[in-house]
Amino acid sequence: MADIYPDIKTWLQEKSIDTHASDYVLSPERRTESLRAVAENNFPTRKDEEWRYTPIANVVNRSIQSGTDLSIDADDLQEIKQIVPEACHVVFVDGQYSAELSDDLAAVAKQGVDISPLSEMNASQGQLAEAMVTNANFSDTNIFQYMTLGLVNSGLFIHVEQNTEVEQPLHIIYVNGPTKSAVVQTPVNFIRLGTNSRFTCIQHFVNSDESKAITIPADFFDLAEGSGIQSYRIGVESDQTDHISNSYARIADSARFVSHQYLLGSRLTRSNTEVLFDGEGAEAVLRGIYLGDNDQHLDIRTYVDHAKPNCMSDQHFRGILGGKARGVFNGLVMVQKDAQHTNAEQSNKNLLLSREARVDTKPQLEIYADDVKCGHGATVGELDEDALFYLQSRGIGREEAAQMLIHAFAAEVTQDITIGSLQPYILEKLDKKLSEISGP
Amino acid sequence: MLSIKDLQVSVEGKTILNGLNLEVKAGEIHAIMGPNGSGKSTLAHVLSGKDGYDVDGGSATYKGMDLLDLAPEVRAREGMFLAFQYPIEIPGVNNTSFLKKALNEIRKHRGEDELDAIDFLALIKKQMELVEMKEDLLKRPVNQGFSGGEKKRNEILQMAVLNPELAILDETDSGLDIDALRIVAGGVNKLRSKDNAFVVITHYQRLLDYIIPDHVHVLSEGKIIKSGGKELAFELEERGYDWLLEHA
Ligand SMILES: Nc1ncnc2c1ncn2[C@@H]1O[C@H](COP(=O)(O)OP(=O)(O)O)[C@@H](O)[C@H]1O
Ligand SMILES: [Mg+2]
Repeated sequence: MADIYPDIKTWLQEKSIDTHASDYVLSPERRTESLRAVAENNFPTRKDEEWRYTPIANVVNRSIQSGTDLSIDADDLQEIKQIVPEACHVVFVDGQYSAELSDDLAAVAKQGVDISPLSEMNASQGQLAEAMVTNANFSDTNIFQYMTLGLVNSGLFIHVEQNTEVEQPLHIIYVNGPTKSAVVQTPVNFIRLGTNSRFTCIQHFVNSDESKAITIPADFFDLAEGSGIQSYRIGVESDQTDHISNSYARIADSARFVSHQYLLGSRLTRSNTEVLFDGEGAEAVLRGIYLGDNDQHLDIRTYVDHAKPNCMSDQHFRGILGGKARGVFNGLVMVQKDAQHTNAEQSNKNLLLSREARVDTKPQLEIYADDVKCGHGATVGELDEDALFYLQSRGIGREEAAQMLIHAFAAEVTQDITIGSLQPYILEKLDKKLSEISGP
Repeated sequence: MLSIKDLQVSVEGKTILNGLNLEVKAGEIHAIMGPNGSGKSTLAHVLSGKDGYDVDGGSATYKGMDLLDLAPEVRAREGMFLAFQYPIEIPGVNNTSFLKKALNEIRKHRGEDELDAIDFLALIKKQMELVEMKEDLLKRPVNQGFSGGEKKRNEILQMAVLNPELAILDETDSGLDIDALRIVAGGVNKLRSKDNAFVVITHYQRLLDYIIPDHVHVLSEGKIIKSGGKELAFELEERGYDWLLEHA
């Protein structure tokens, strides 16, 4: 029988160091300290500048249940795996790694990857993970990060060996069964790329319409010299799911971090991505689309820290909002004093499809170096009437013309997807949602 | 085919068309000339259904239907086509798939089968030769990065593919060099038949060296102040508009 708790804070009170995790995953001190921080800190409110546009009272007041029956529809899961057929699929059910539903990780290991679920981590992996957390210096420190570090009850440790180009993408699927109250899942991934290695990783948050969940993931990336990762986050969770994520990427000399985010689902999503240039000649490319309808709330936060010279960051996020949906883009590019020859670009464009939809966009640049090339801009607009008329004047109905224009708006971001089968999947999901979206 | 009676149109309270009359029959080519700001584009826009214009009086009947009552896409499906004076760029919408969609919407409306990709490609290849357009323009988003002349040719290509019954060309000749002009005119002449009609809006007489109109009308201050045969165009070329305006 599942125990029910009135809210997440009460649920957390009972938590001590989790037994699911290996003894090595993070130091006992780190975990105890993090749990203490959870107990001592409050959830952010709108008085907190970084959370000004994103109220989470409805998240922290949800009733929580522990344990589920883990009943997952095998056909549904198979279908999700087929979205990236060539990938190695790793499945988490309600936040727990399922060896039974996952592909054999040994196949990935053979390609030069030290990979392990957190529950099976060894001492040396644990030390590396611990160092990654120590190095992660979030600009927005919040209780959710402490939760993931204190609980550390699921996730993956991944270390790609140097000079290894892993061709096969890793497809991490997070699913939930149907539940009465919300399940809390807090997956943490430690993803390390050795010198000159290459890796592609898809995190796919997908649950059924009956699923109720609070998903609180954390990712720690560490890219050694000359390495490169394509990291995808696809959020297509149910409208009874809330999602609050934090990612931290440390990038060494000449490494390349490419992040793609497609946020289509959930009731509320807050996604925070922070990047630290810890070497020269490195690149960070951040792409994202958020598509909201009804009462959805989708918040993208980015923080790119140009701490070293000669690095390039390029951010491009697009929002499409219908119904009463709200979008938030809150991005900061920090160019430190020594970061000469920084090249930073940040763009956020939004389409509002209804009168009640709304977006708050705050692209910010803070520059302390003098020889840099930085640009940023944000737009909020409606569909271009002249373009609509042009299409209509050729015989295309107004609704269809609108869909074509929105599709085109999104496609300018999706064109950067590097996995062949993923692009049609995303566009199909977008189109399906657009066809149901509530207009003015 | 098209019958406009005493049409009065205003924008934000400002009268632009002020009692305009025009009769166009199948098989005819009409030229509408007139100084800048006389209301030529407004007429083209109102006929094709663009928003933002208030019709204060009069009527426009197309193939027996109350034209002004039809949605823009229905007008197009019923065979109307406007070649825009300023074709806009539509980022992200592929030129070919857009045109295929448009054609199939029109075919559906007529109760014809939709064309598949292969048949459509064959059709468009043929029509591209007609306007001497480079093939790579098809792969680009609609009009994006096209030169002024390429945009105008793209309009004529669309016209050739959609094969309208009534085509309105709004200053398609403006900004074109003589070669491009010849190509555009060649497109019109290839397409013209006893079943369709063209309304060619132009600022200059030179287009009419290549497209021989049956009727020429002079529009001034929202009204047709003089109509005549093709010789009227030559007279305008020689004497300008002023002599007409004085007499109006
Ligand atoms: N959307 C508009 N708002 C205000 N005035 C307009 C608008 N469109 C056209 N006009 C005015 O109507 C008149 C006719 O314009 P237009 O039809 O473009 O003329 P033409 O094509 O003959 O040069 C001009 O005075 C122009 O300024
Ligand atoms: Mg004009």
